[in-house]
Amino acid sequence: MADNGMDRRDFMKSTAAGFGGFFFLSSNEIKPEETTKKPLKEQKIIYRTLGKTGIKLPAINMGVMNSSNPNLVRAALNSGMVLLDTATTYQRGTNEAMIGEVIKERPRDSYVIATKAHPPENRSTGLYTKEATEEDYQKKIDASLKNLGLDYIDIYHHHGASVRESVLYEPVMKALEKAKKAGKIRFIGISTHKNEPEVIQAAVDSKFYDVILTTYNFKQKHQVEIRETIAKAAAAGMGVIVMKAMGGVQLQERAEKPVEPVPALKWVLQDSNVHTIIAGFTTFDQMNLDLSVMENPTLTQSEKAHLQWAAFQTGLYCQGCGQCLMQCPEELPIPDLMRAYMYVYGYRNLSHSQDLLLSLNLPPRVCGDCAECPVKCSIGFNVSRKIQDVIRLRDVPAEFIA
Amino acid sequence: MKKFRAVQKACFLFFSFLLIGWMLGNGASLWASGGEGGAYSFPEMAGWKQSGEIQIYSRTNLYDYINGGADLYLKYDFQELKVAEYENDRKASVTIEVYRHETPVHAFGIYSQERLGNANYLEVGAQGYSEKGVLNFLAADCYVKMSSVDVGPEEREVLLAFAKKVVENLGGKGSLPSILSSFPREGEKKNSEKFIAREFLGYAFFHSAFTADYELSGKKFKLFLIEGTDQKDCRNMVQEYLKHTENLQNKVEEGRYQLKDPYHGGMDFYWKGNYIWGALDLDDETLRSMVLKLFAEGLENKKINNDNRNKPSLPQAAGY
Repeated sequence: MADNGMDRRDFMKSTAAGFGGFFFLSSNEIKPEETTKKPLKEQKIIYRTLGKTGIKLPAINMGVMNSSNPNLVRAALNSGMVLLDTATTYQRGTNEAMIGEVIKERPRDSYVIATKAHPPENRSTGLYTKEATEEDYQKKIDASLKNLGLDYIDIYHHHGASVRESVLYEPVMKALEKAKKAGKIRFIGISTHKNEPEVIQAAVDSKFYDVILTTYNFKQKHQVEIRETIAKAAAAGMGVIVMKAMGGVQLQERAEKPVEPVPALKWVLQDSNVHTIIAGFTTFDQMNLDLSVMENPTLTQSEKAHLQWAAFQTGLYCQGCGQCLMQCPEELPIPDLMRAYMYVYGYRNLSHSQDLLLSLNLPPRVCGDCAECPVKCSIGFNVSRKIQDVIRLRDVPAEFIA
Repeated sequence: MKKFRAVQKACFLFFSFLLIGWMLGNGASLWASGGEGGAYSFPEMAGWKQSGEIQIYSRTNLYDYINGGADLYLKYDFQELKVAEYENDRKASVTIEVYRHETPVHAFGIYSQERLGNANYLEVGAQGYSEKGVLNFLAADCYVKMSSVDVGPEEREVLLAFAKKVVENLGGKGSLPSILSSFPREGEKKNSEKFIAREFLGYAFFHSAFTADYELSGKKFKLFLIEGTDQKDCRNMVQEYLKHTENLQNKVEEGRYQLKDPYHGGMDFYWKGNYIWGALDLDDETLRSMVLKLFAEGLENKKINNDNRNKPSLPQAAGY
């Protein structure tokens, strides 16, 4: 098991959290500032307070993104969930409109709406483009109000920031500030699913945002950094909402066996600085399963074992952490090569893999000058072997593949 | 020397075949990167130049392009996205995104999730629509989204011209799913048809369904159609549904079912062959019976049309 010079034990150590420390907090570390009551259908609900906003929310709420089923949203609210999370872009506004149809039947104080918009961005730098104006952002806020049929939105997230400069981008901040003053939004949030620690830290420093919405799950290699900045955000009075507790559809697809939702959700709730999770369920059974987490949020031994297994399994997919780039003497674009490998062995797409290999401007003799590969992949890939496997495809005539 | 090169080339080809064969043996198959849209190249347009490289995204990194929105595209069997940007001398820009899905029905599915009923519809591809700075359309197994910045008053014409060229390069406009023609026309809201790729009604055992919105006699409701792979597939779905809604029956047979669903209220549907069709949110039983009957007729007509199409054609008269 000395694959790539890293055995299972090394891997465990190399994951920032390991499995001994934060990974499994003991149950008594769940701060019971939360209150409980049994509302509808005898479902036990754990409430936590969303920072200084003072909004009391169930620990599990609904991320509506992937559902166009109004009765699922109704069932979520009937089951005791309160927060519905959506975005202007989800199904080009029809997701917001569908939620609008559901909530118009209900008292305004019986639910909390969070929505969001992402300013136009240069994808390679994460910086916003000239089209990201204050006026443009105000229009997005107004469009959400119209779609939802509301006079005000409870939480409006500046969506998808990935670098500090974007968090502090003045035109967007001005638009949000004006909307808050005008009573169009109650609280200003910021969301991130890339480079989360930097974004959260910048949000804390800005003293501008009331809430953060962040990706946070047991599979992230930088979970310790996220945990630490989440703690700073909570200490500063910000509300903390977590998304992609199971890693999202993309991560689920990558897994050899699906991650079980209950342990994954419990893992997030161990962190008392997390105030709520938005769960992206699309069936009633999934909803009930997610809700059941609040019956007993303490991880059982078998759930811990499942998470250990799920965190360890690497499958075919490079996580793109880039640590290998500094280790390779030939400065090979290893994450891209791992992607090429995945195209062949994961998606059986030889031509796509070859296209990628040819676009990388690789030297004629890849790995030819190293007797031993010094790269230690953070998730245990045998990098040199995978490169040797896939690089041969570069020399196959394209007409045999396409 | 020539002979040596020929032998060298033959050896190279031989080993190339071996390599591909080996990869096939290891689970990889020859899968052209594209199906219909795979070899897709972006069009040239007078007065416009492509700026930057064409960006390509797969199932694993679509997330980098559309963030959380990627999840829904993956559920609709998204395969590949190609993005090109164009610029003209006045620094106006047009962005074209071609999302290729596993099948035309899946492409229609994601398109139908995002189209607005009251949009300004256009004859482009199988169907398209435009709004300020945007033109989106469906063509074969691709969902194409176009946007423009600073193009000026002629933006709609510019986008339409681009769209037509994109359709040409895609090799055909395709069509809306033919099964939609079986939905009753009476009271149907224009462009409200949708394809739900998975977990219809919020139940995992219903794999996919077509739906359309209606308004008749002042009642707003929805009709749906599930196309199973065969009769057995439909039987399994009905059986599971009855179990889930605590309406267990000893024998599940083709026919009409009227029951109470804990999440959807009154449910009225028929099962026949590989079709299940029904009404949602319609409490008027007379109206329900009428529209479901019309639906059955629509399915029957579609079946007749299909049967006629599939009949071996008669020898041409000229031969006799």
